Amino acid sequence: MNTSTSQTRRRINWGKVSSYAVMLLLAIIYLVPLLMLVNTSLKTTQSFAINATGLATELNFANFAEAWEKANFPRYLLNSVIYTASATAIFVVTSLFVAFPIARGYVKHAGALLTLYVIALFLPPALIPQFQLILNLGLYNTPQGFILLFVVNAVGIVILVNSIKSIPRELDEAAALDGCGYTRFVWSIVLPLLRPAVATVIVLHAIGIWNEIIAPTIYLTSEKYYPITRGLIVFQGVYGSEWPTLAAAVLMLTVPMIILFLFLQRYIISGLTAGAVKG
Amino acid sequence: MNYHFGRGFSRWTPFLLLLPGLLIYFVIALGPSIATSVYSFTNATGLKGAPVEWVGLDNYKEFLLLGQAAKDNLAVLRRTLIFSLFVSSVQFTLGLIIALVLNQRLLGRNVVRTLVFMPVILGAVIQGLIWTLFLYPLGGPAANFLKLFGLQSQFLGGSPAEAFFWVMVVQIWANLGITMIIFLAGLQTIPSEYYEAATVDGASSWQVFRNVTWPLLTPSINTNILLNVIGSLQAWQLFLVLIGYRPGTQVLGYLIYATGFGAAGSMTQSFRQGYAAAASIVLFILVLIIGMTVQTFLRRREVRILG
Repeated sequence: MNTSTSQTRRRINWGKVSSYAVMLLLAIIYLVPLLMLVNTSLKTTQSFAINATGLATELNFANFAEAWEKANFPRYLLNSVIYTASATAIFVVTSLFVAFPIARGYVKHAGALLTLYVIALFLPPALIPQFQLILNLGLYNTPQGFILLFVVNAVGIVILVNSIKSIPRELDEAAALDGCGYTRFVWSIVLPLLRPAVATVIVLHAIGIWNEIIAPTIYLTSEKYYPITRGLIVFQGVYGSEWPTLAAAVLMLTVPMIILFLFLQRYIISGLTAGAVKG
Repeated sequence: MNYHFGRGFSRWTPFLLLLPGLLIYFVIALGPSIATSVYSFTNATGLKGAPVEWVGLDNYKEFLLLGQAAKDNLAVLRRTLIFSLFVSSVQFTLGLIIALVLNQRLLGRNVVRTLVFMPVILGAVIQGLIWTLFLYPLGGPAANFLKLFGLQSQFLGGSPAEAFFWVMVVQIWANLGITMIIFLAGLQTIPSEYYEAATVDGASSWQVFRNVTWPLLTPSINTNILLNVIGSLQAWQLFLVLIGYRPGTQVLGYLIYATGFGAAGSMTQSFRQGYAAAASIVLFILVLIIGMTVQTFLRRREVRILG
């Protein structure tokens, strides 16, 4: 059996080597753009102009202070937080009470109702009529109108319905026998049991709003209402040639997102793969 | 279904509590989505109080048949298809290879998974700005890299074809993580006994992939193909951030936005929402035809493989 040990002893596992090569290549492709951002944010405008990729030797932290001030970040960040938090809160509370009776069949035509949410994924974009609606409601260029656009999420409902089905029905009966009412049951028994799915839905929905750029460009024309995405685009328009300042601005928004992502990774991934592998 | 939380009036509680969410959904999402087809037959503008008239099929005729604009529109449609075909096929292939590599027990695989997935959560604005810097034509990293081979490029500021190519690259870079994650989830559902049996039978790694992994990965393959094809037909946010509305680079999604909301640069094109709605319906039909064809093809394949 081991007649050829002397030959195989030092045989290189090429499969492993090429796998590590792929990993290294990926790390470069995904890290270098980020490292370029960090490096640029520490340079002065002059040294960037002379050699854009040269290592920042001057560690010019003033870029951050400058970007924070000039980009009006505190205001835009506050707007983004308000839009994201309020739209997500309204969405989660209303959809819990939509998803639960649909999953349980406590309302008539539950199956048909669920279909209404599923087909939304395939219908034409609602862009134009939505705009006409907000305009005619007098909500154009108002935070309320903007928030209203983001209080629905068909995918979220589908995820919630699917995970409610894994809660045993006997629980409903037992709670009712103990005199628990419907509202209290959904709110203080179903919701805690559903925590992982709810967390997934919250995280996915909130990220979507936070990163949204089309809707703020269409609906919010007053600078005081800009969320951070729009603010960043406007800042790029004005300071586009001052890359060190712009890079500092981008970096200040990227780092918190990455940190948050590292903590919430689990929920994001379970949301994206839900149902994907079962077909 | 058996309902235990009371009778009579209180039997209505679930329905009453469902109503707010359902109504908002109808008003904000479902209704407008369907109303797009109605608007496509009008000359609606984005101005409040302006009269809206019924114009029949005029918007469609203009979009597809009239003069130079229609020719440009057909070029936009062709470009949208090229974008979708290129992005979805490259993203599918790379996503599969990466998932296969990262599904092995390798040191540091979790770090690489996280890195590849990371851009997904950063959103189009940050993705776009990071790449605008990376593709900085005057001595940025990409420019320096090309210089090694004696090449140079203006990247996003270059010819329309060049700019278009780089948007596709960024689109793939940004969304590769989703494809990878879905494949990884699929790979983890394949029982390890199958691999052990194949190894005992002396199958080569290509045979294992061809006869075990590929057929059993069918659900993730289907999901990824559909998501990539439909997603890339509708994607245009990166065009907005990376190059703006430039002739010779736009895809259909951007054209809809630009004609409907006046980012097209020329005053004659601005705020033609009836026309933009007609273009939305064209995009919808495109997505529907391609999506259904792909779906039918995938179903047949699935029946053939999994029985």
